[in-house]
Amino acid sequence: MSWVEIVQIWLVAFVTLSLFSFLYKDNPFYRLVEHIFAGLSAGYYVGLIYHSVILQTMIDPMFRNGEWWLIFPGILGALMFSRFSKNYGWISRISLAFVMGNTAGIFLLSELHGKVLPQVGATMRSLNPQHQADGWTGVLLSLLIVVGVVSTLIYFYFSKEHKGVLGGVAKVGIWFIMISFGAHFGYTVMARISLLIGRVQFLIFDFGNSIKELFG
Amino acid sequence: MLEVLKIVAYTILICIPAAVLLYLTFKTDDRRYLFIAVAFYVVFPVVVTISFPTSLSPESITLYEAVDALPDSSTVLLTFDYYASTLAETEPMSRAALHHLFKKDCRVLTVTTIPLGGPTISERVTRDLAEEYDKVYGLDFVNLGYKANYVAVLKGMGSSISAIYPADNSGTPLSEIPMMADIKNYDDIDFIYVVADNGIVEYWISIVQSQYQAQVGCGVTAVMAPKIYAYVSSGQMTGLLGGMKGAAEYEKMVGHPGSATQGMGAQSMAHLFIIVSVISGNLMFFIDRKRGRKRKLS
Repeated sequence: MSWVEIVQIWLVAFVTLSLFSFLYKDNPFYRLVEHIFAGLSAGYYVGLIYHSVILQTMIDPMFRNGEWWLIFPGILGALMFSRFSKNYGWISRISLAFVMGNTAGIFLLSELHGKVLPQVGATMRSLNPQHQADGWTGVLLSLLIVVGVVSTLIYFYFSKEHKGVLGGVAKVGIWFIMISFGAHFGYTVMARISLLIGRVQFLIFDFGNSIKELFG
Repeated sequence: MLEVLKIVAYTILICIPAAVLLYLTFKTDDRRYLFIAVAFYVVFPVVVTISFPTSLSPESITLYEAVDALPDSSTVLLTFDYYASTLAETEPMSRAALHHLFKKDCRVLTVTTIPLGGPTISERVTRDLAEEYDKVYGLDFVNLGYKANYVAVLKGMGSSISAIYPADNSGTPLSEIPMMADIKNYDDIDFIYVVADNGIVEYWISIVQSQYQAQVGCGVTAVMAPKIYAYVSSGQMTGLLGGMKGAAEYEKMVGHPGSATQGMGAQSMAHLFIIVSVISGNLMFFIDRKRGRKRKLS
């Protein structure tokens, strides 16, 4: 292990332990590391955007390949900075309008074509066991999905009071929503524990080895 | 006999701290005892190396089989759409995927839509694995790096990859990279393997899979997994790895146990402790409520 690697590992270990120290209580080490992270991220992001967007996709093609039309998106981007002015802030709306129109156009198609229609299609699967890979089990699962989707949608239907049949179906919807929350919560716990495991593995193996290297 | 003694010793070692720390938590109402308990159940299995069997889920088998069914020397786009904060879950997925792809002599193209850490992680992981399999940069794999505005990137790569990425992550023009000579857009890519920790995975489905009919499989963090199951059952997503468990499953299938497999012991122990905490916390709540009612009545 080289000296550079050891310094890197010790720095990472210091940052990790400083952040974990917040679990005991707020302290200057935690705040120092938090501020360093915020500052470093902002600086790195500015540098990366300048290099990968402004330089690579605007300045280079303009001056090397003569693609001068790129000046227009460049101007639209520069107009965004007018937001800092009280008198001329309205100019940035031109760029924003372009971004909003563009995004709406792209997402209208992709959301409908890529999410809504295929998901509705998958919900209305055939109830014929011969068309199901799992036979009757598949039919039952398809029915369960249909009941879940319909009852959840009815729970979010607010134009009529949830009484009688409508109220009963809405209650079934609540059960489906609760089960879904439970699944999400379980997975979230798993995710957070995984992240802790990652840090513990680093502290025990990488940091531990560097200590051995230095003192053992 | 020795095995039985070992199991008894472990059970005592495992149960006593849980009982003591839960008792202290309920008595003092100080959640820091719970933190100590969780830390113990994560550190202990990592130090002592307690392992639990990893069963395979149908979703991860589907992903493995889809990649395995690709003809040798196919072109695969592997994404590194994750931040450094979720490395524990996502990096083992990328490593296991690269083991599989390099073993099959696939040509690997990597991209990232994450500015902070994405390009560095993709360079480090691919070069590390490429060295193990004697793969040459530019012939067997290429790192395209990061580009801002993921919607424009995902959409634009459908028409021309070189228009979106004029150069690779190191600044070499794509025209000078031999592997990129016959890779122009999604039509030249046989499989897209997304490893992500955020909503970008849904855009790979709604923009790339649905509009360009590309075959997409994914590995996501556990937080993301429940949402993605819907796309697997609708057939839009070819297989899914969910969190560290999914990564451990893929490591098992490719025959390269790594940090995810190693972490499963700690994961199982911590989960057991959390289940015990939830049950005992609820019991304490009902007992306290009953006592409170009795006090009111008397």
